[in-house]
Amino acid sequence: MTERNGRPPLLRLVGSDGDAAPAVPEPTARDTDWAILMAHAQDGDRSAYQRLLQEITPYLRSLAARRHRDPSDIEDAVQDILLTVHAIRHTFDPTRPFGPWLVTIANRRFIDRLRRQGRRRNRETPLTPEHETFAEPQANLEETPDRRELEKAIDELSPMQRKAIQLLKLKEMSLREASTASGMSIAALKVNVHRAVKSLRKILGDRSEP
Amino acid sequence: MIATPDLIESLSRNMKPVRRLHPPVTRAACWLLLAAVVVGLLAVSQGIRPDIMSRIHDPSFAAGIVGAVLTGVLAAVAAFLVSLPDRSRLWLLLPAPAVVLWLSNIGYQCLGDWVSIGPDGVSIGEATRCLATLVLTSLPLSLAMLVMLRYAAPLRPTAVTCMGSLAVAAITATALSLFHSADATLMIIMFNIGTAMMFVGFGALFGRRMLQWITPRPSIRD
Repeated sequence: MTERNGRPPLLRLVGSDGDAAPAVPEPTARDTDWAILMAHAQDGDRSAYQRLLQEITPYLRSLAARRHRDPSDIEDAVQDILLTVHAIRHTFDPTRPFGPWLVTIANRRFIDRLRRQGRRRNRETPLTPEHETFAEPQANLEETPDRRELEKAIDELSPMQRKAIQLLKLKEMSLREASTASGMSIAALKVNVHRAVKSLRKILGDRSEP
Repeated sequence: MIATPDLIESLSRNMKPVRRLHPPVTRAACWLLLAAVVVGLLAVSQGIRPDIMSRIHDPSFAAGIVGAVLTGVLAAVAAFLVSLPDRSRLWLLLPAPAVVLWLSNIGYQCLGDWVSIGPDGVSIGEATRCLATLVLTSLPLSLAMLVMLRYAAPLRPTAVTCMGSLAVAAITATALSLFHSADATLMIIMFNIGTAMMFVGFGALFGRRMLQWITPRPSIRD
């Protein structure tokens, strides 16, 4: 890499939030090296191929840092490009410069990636602590007055109806369980719960109608 | 997700030597040769339309044919050039002049025929045979183009398929006007602009998916 070529390693200034645009080293100087390495790699030289991939990775990472902010996104993008380079390495023509070939592949992968992310963002809403808080029953205080009103209404029902509604609706028993618990027949339970709902509707006023 | 150094290690360990692609113009020439063979075979089996000698002297017909052939050649060259990552996208404009020549001459022909003949000049039998020509020409050419350009999927799928489809459409239109005396306006519109639209449209709609379907998967172990 830079140290090996006798050039000082590149320094770059990055803001405290990582927002500053990182300097992208120009590939032109190393272009010929990379082209030669790729030509060897196409002929089957594995060590040349490994060296090439190792050398282009920091460069790709600096390109990716311009488009993505999340470090794991950057790494994903770099790997995506490496895999694409691997899949279509036979399209490189050693008589032509390597830099433009690589940069076009990189840019296409970035654009595809950003589009995919954009589509996902349009479809999905991230689950935040706020959502969970509001789903908790304690957060929904306005249900309490309703409950009191309902309990009062249930108290006004006849004993049979009250029993039926308590067992079947509030305790959510099955008809058979409720029948064993109360000693009422299933048919009686059905009739009583039906009448109870009807009278509750009358007592509370039908709220489905505005 | 695996670490990038491990990925590099794995890619280089499992790498096999590859054969470089031939230059794009050579590959376009191969495809055009295939196109010529297909059209030639169809000419043998279906026969050239009988009035070709008289029609070829009609400047607008001749210009239309020349335009279509040129569009086919240039669009094929452009498709193979644009499919490579290091070529400029401006190559997409290469077939534009030929397209103008082709389509403008269709327009003129249609107008002339509309006035003199009317829209009901072609029988059902002719239309069916035309459809056969259309499918027989375009299907092998499209498939060949798809296979030859499969590596373009992660790069510029839409642009490449549009160019490839334009090339197929132009060759198909040439074949149609060589084999069938479809002089009626509607048939010409349908076959010339229609084929172009159909292939470019199909290319834009499904080309991406088709290319991805057939593309070499970026596998670590390939």
